[in-house]
Amino acid sequence: MIYAYALAGVILAPFAGVFIAGLDRILTARFQARTGPPILQPLYDIAKLWAKEPMIAHRFQPLCVYVYLAAAMVSVGLFFAQSDLLLIFFVQAVGAVFLVMGAFLVPSPFSQAGANRELIQILTYEPLIIIVLAGIYLSTGSFEISAVYAMDKPLLMNLPLLFIVFGYALTIKLRKSPFDISASHHAHQELVRGVLTEYSGRQLALIEIAHLYETVLILGLCSLFWTTGVLGTVVLLAATYLAEIVVDNICARMSFKWMLKSVWTTGLALSAVNFAWLYARGKF
Amino acid sequence: MAAAASALLTTGSILLIGQVPIRSVPAFLSGDLFATAVQAADFALLGLFLFFGIRFKDLLITGLSAAQIAGLFFFEFVILADSHAPAAGLYCDSLSLVMVLLICIAGSLIVLYALPYMQEHERHLKPGKSRNPVFFSLLFVFIAAMNALVLVNDLMLFYFCFEITTLCSFLLIGHDRTRTARENAGTALRINSMGGAVLLLGIVLIYTRLHTLDIQEVIARVQGTGALLIPLGLLCVAGFTKAAQMPFQKWLLGAMVAPTPVSALLHSATMVKAGVYLVIRFAPAFAGTFLSTGVAVCGAFTFLSAAALAVGQSNGKKVLAYSTVSNLGLILACVGINTRSALSAAILLMIFHAVSKALLFLCMGSVEQHIKSRDIEDMRGLFGEMPKVAPIITMGILTMILPPFGMLLGKWMAIESAAGNLFLLFMLAMGSALTVVYWARWAGILMGSDFRGKPRPERLHVLSTISLFSLLGLAILLSVSAPFFHTGLLPGSITGAGGFAPVNGSLANSAGSFAVIPLFLAAAASFLFALAGSGRSSGAETAAPYMSGIAGPENGTYIGPMNRITRSVNRNYYLSAFFGEQRLSGAVNACAGILILLMMGACI
Amino acid sequence: MFKKIMERSRIKSPWLVHYDCGSCNGCDIETLACLTPLYDVERFGVLNIGNPKHADVLIVTGSVNTRNRHVLEQIHRQMPSPKIVIAVGSCGLSGGIFKEAYNVVGGVDRVIPVDVYVPGCPARPEAIIDGVVEGLSVLADKQRRPDAANGAVAVDHTNSEILYESR
Repeated sequence: MIYAYALAGVILAPFAGVFIAGLDRILTARFQARTGPPILQPLYDIAKLWAKEPMIAHRFQPLCVYVYLAAAMVSVGLFFAQSDLLLIFFVQAVGAVFLVMGAFLVPSPFSQAGANRELIQILTYEPLIIIVLAGIYLSTGSFEISAVYAMDKPLLMNLPLLFIVFGYALTIKLRKSPFDISASHHAHQELVRGVLTEYSGRQLALIEIAHLYETVLILGLCSLFWTTGVLGTVVLLAATYLAEIVVDNICARMSFKWMLKSVWTTGLALSAVNFAWLYARGKF
Repeated sequence: MAAAASALLTTGSILLIGQVPIRSVPAFLSGDLFATAVQAADFALLGLFLFFGIRFKDLLITGLSAAQIAGLFFFEFVILADSHAPAAGLYCDSLSLVMVLLICIAGSLIVLYALPYMQEHERHLKPGKSRNPVFFSLLFVFIAAMNALVLVNDLMLFYFCFEITTLCSFLLIGHDRTRTARENAGTALRINSMGGAVLLLGIVLIYTRLHTLDIQEVIARVQGTGALLIPLGLLCVAGFTKAAQMPFQKWLLGAMVAPTPVSALLHSATMVKAGVYLVIRFAPAFAGTFLSTGVAVCGAFTFLSAAALAVGQSNGKKVLAYSTVSNLGLILACVGINTRSALSAAILLMIFHAVSKALLFLCMGSVEQHIKSRDIEDMRGLFGEMPKVAPIITMGILTMILPPFGMLLGKWMAIESAAGNLFLLFMLAMGSALTVVYWARWAGILMGSDFRGKPRPERLHVLSTISLFSLLGLAILLSVSAPFFHTGLLPGSITGAGGFAPVNGSLANSAGSFAVIPLFLAAAASFLFALAGSGRSSGAETAAPYMSGIAGPENGTYIGPMNRITRSVNRNYYLSAFFGEQRLSGAVNACAGILILLMMGACI
Repeated sequence: MFKKIMERSRIKSPWLVHYDCGSCNGCDIETLACLTPLYDVERFGVLNIGNPKHADVLIVTGSVNTRNRHVLEQIHRQMPSPKIVIAVGSCGLSGGIFKEAYNVVGGVDRVIPVDVYVPGCPARPEAIIDGVVEGLSVLADKQRRPDAANGAVAVDHTNSEILYESR
C-alpha cells in the first residue's frame, strides 16, 4: 500500500508543482500591478527547455543533474510513503549537494560563486529544519510521518514558533527574497543565475522539475503542522505560501553573511523558546 | 614481508568472528614473571619519556613523566605491596571484536599502501640510510599495541598499552626528523603524557576503592550505583586526550607532518580510537549519571567547534584532521547519551569513520606526492591530473556525508537519539550542516577540469590501487550490510529491546527507521538512470563557460584589459571572518576547557 | 503529443537576453520598459533571463564596433538553438549616426544573422514587443524547418502602435 502512495506521489507531484509555481507567478505579477503569465507557464518553460539543442558545459554535469532529480523524486516518494522525517530530509540533501557539485565543475565565476553561496544556504537552513523535525518528534514521540497523522491536535498548537522557524527554511529553499542569494528567479543581477548559470536546455528543464518536487516536499512538510482537517491544511498552506510571496515582493536580497547571522540567531532563539514552552508543559 | 604480515593480521581478525565472548587468563599472563616484566617495561617506558623531556628541555613532559614514575612507584610498591591483585587476563566481547577487526583490516590496508609510498617518500627525503625498516616495525608495534589495548582486561596492562601507543605515535610523528616534525612530536608527547598521568591517577583511585584491576569486575560493581564518578571522569578525560577532543586537539593537527600512512593510521584505526574505546568500554559504568551528560556535551561541543574550524581551512590535511576531531566528538556525544540506540550509533560511526577516513588520508598522500601541495585550492580540476584518485576521493567524501552511506546512517541515529536534549540537538544540528559545507565544497572542485580533452593517464602503484579500492569497496559494502552486521556483530546489550533492529532491510527503533536496503536500491536505480540520461547527452557540444565577456581560447580564461588572456581565478568561500582558526581557536579551547572542568566538578 | 506540446511551448516561453553593443541607452531604457507593469510582457511568457545559455531571443541595441563584435558573436554562439536575434534601434540596424566612425562595424547583421529588425531612435516599447512577437513566428518557422534560411522581418515603426493594437 505504501508503495502505491509513494508512486502516486512521485507521479502527481510535478503536476501539483506546476500549478503552484504558475499560481505563484500570477500572484507575484498581481502584487506588482501586472497581469502575469498563464497558469501553465512553468509547464511551457520546462517543455521548451527540454526541446532545446543539447549543450553541456562539463561532461559530468548531466550526471549531477539526474542525481539531483532522482534524489528529489525519492524524497517525495518517501514522504508519501510516510517514512522517517529526518531520513527524507537527508535524502533531499543529496540532491542539493549534487546540484552544488555540478555547478563547481565549470570554471565560470558565476557558477562557482553561486555554488559557494548555495552551500551557505544549505548551512543556514539545515540546522533549522533538523531542529523543527526534532520538535515534531518531541510532540509525537516518533520521527515517522504516520505518527503525526495519529495526533488528535494539530502540531501548530504545540510548535507555533517552530513553524516560523520552518518558514525561514522554506523561504531559503524556495529561493525567495531576501534569501535568493545563490540563484534568484530573476537573472538580471550580479551573479547572472548563480548556481544555475551553466546548466542549459534539458538539464535546466530537469532542474526545474526537481525544483517542483522540492516545492511539493516542502509544502508537504508544512502541511504536517495541521493534520486534523483538510480545510485547516489547505488554509495553512495557502496562508504560508501567500506570506512567502508577500515577503518575496517586499524584500531586497541580502548578503549571505547577513543571512547566516540573522537566520541562525532568530531561528535558534525562537526554537529555544518553543522548546522551553514544550518543556514547561511537560511534553518531555 | 610486511604485506604477508598484513594478510595474516586480516585473516586472524576475521577468524576471531564467532568466537566471542572470550574470557581467559592465559598462564603466561598470570605468572609473577610476566607481572614483573610489565612493571619493568612500564618504568622503562616512562624513563624514556623522562629522557625525551629532559632532552627537549620540555618542563611539562619532564614533570608529567616524573610524576607518573612517582605515582606508579607509589602504586606498585606501597599500595600493592601487601595485597596482590589477581591477574585479570584477556577479555574479548563484541566491542573488542569490532575494534580488532577495524584495527587489523584498516591497519593492514594502510600498511599495504605504505609500502610503495614510503619508497617514494625516501626518494624525496634522501636520508643517509633507509629508515623504512624502523618505520614499518613501528607501524606493526603500533597495531599490536592497539590490538592488545582492546583485548586486555587488566587496568595496569591497559595503561601499559596506552603508553606504548603514545610512544609509537611520538616516534612516528617525528619520523622525518625535520624541525616541525620534532616540535609536533613533542606536542603529541606532551598532551598524551597528560592523558597517561590522568589515566594512572584514575586507575589508582579505582583500585583504592574497589581493590581490583579487573575491568569487567569494576564495571559490574559500579554499574547503576553512580559511585566512583571521579576516577571514571578521569578515565574519560584520558580518553579525550587520546581522541584529540577540544581542547586537546593540537597534537592531532600537528601529526599531519608525519608521512601520510602514519596520519591515516592515527586518524582511522589506531590511537584516536583508543580514546574512544576507553570511554565506550566504561560507558555502562557511568550510565545515567551527570558524568554521562558531561561527556555528551563535551563531545557535541567538539563536534560543532571542530566542524566550524574545518570550514575555515583550505589545507586539505587540516580539514581531514578537524573532521576526525569533529567526528570523534560526535561518537563521544553518542556514548554520553548512553542509550542503546546512541551506543549503536557510536560503534557504527566508529567503524564507518575509520574506513572512510583511512581512504581519504591515503588518497591525500598520493595527491600530495603528485601535485606537491596539500591545499584544496590546488586540487581544482584534479581529475585532469589524477583520473583514478580524484574520483576515489570524491566517492570517499560522498560516503562521509550522504545517505545511504554509513556515516550518515550513524549521524541520523545520533540526531534521533539526541532529540530529547535541546542543547545537544542544537550543537549536533549545526555541526552536521557545517560538515556538509566543508566536504561538499571539496568534492565539488575535484572532478571539474580547466581543460578540454582527455585526462592524462595516471600511474598508481598496484599495491596502492589495491589498498584504495579495497577501502572504498569496504566503505560501500559495510554501508549496504549495516542492518545485518549491526545485529550480528554489535554487543547484545546494545542491540536488544529498545535499540535498533533490522526490519525489512531498514534499521529501525521505536522512534524512526532508516531504510538502508531500499535506499541503496533507489540509489543504484538513480545512478543507472543518471548514467543513461547523461549518456544520451554525451554527444552534445561542450560549451565554453559563461564569462560575461569574451572567453579566451582555453577553458576558464577571458580576454582581459589590453587584450591579454586572463585566467579567471575562482576560490571557495572559507569564511575566515567567521570560522578562521585564529578567530575561533582561543574561544573554543577556553569553552571546551570550562566544559571539561564543569564535568569533573560535578563529579565531585 | 509531446512534440506538439514542445512546439506550442516554444512560442509561449521566449526568454530573452539583452546585449547593449554600445547604445546611447535610449533603446535599452525602452527595452527594459517592456518589463514594467505598463506593458508587462510576462503575459506572453517573456522573461529577461540575462544569461545566453538559458535564452531563446537575443535583443541587441547599439552599433557594433570592432571590439565588442567578438562578445556579440560569443553570446550568440552560447545560446542553444533554436534562437532568434532581434536588432533594435537605428544603430542596431545600420550603425546609425555612428556608422562612419573609424571603429564601427555597422549593424548587427554584419556580425550575426538577424531575424527581426525594429527601427526607431529610440525604438518604442510597443515596437520592441511587436518585434518579439514577430520573432516568435520566425522561431516557430525555424522549428519546422531547422535548416531554413533566415527570412528577416522588418517592423514598421511609424505605425507600430496601431500594429500592436490590432493584434
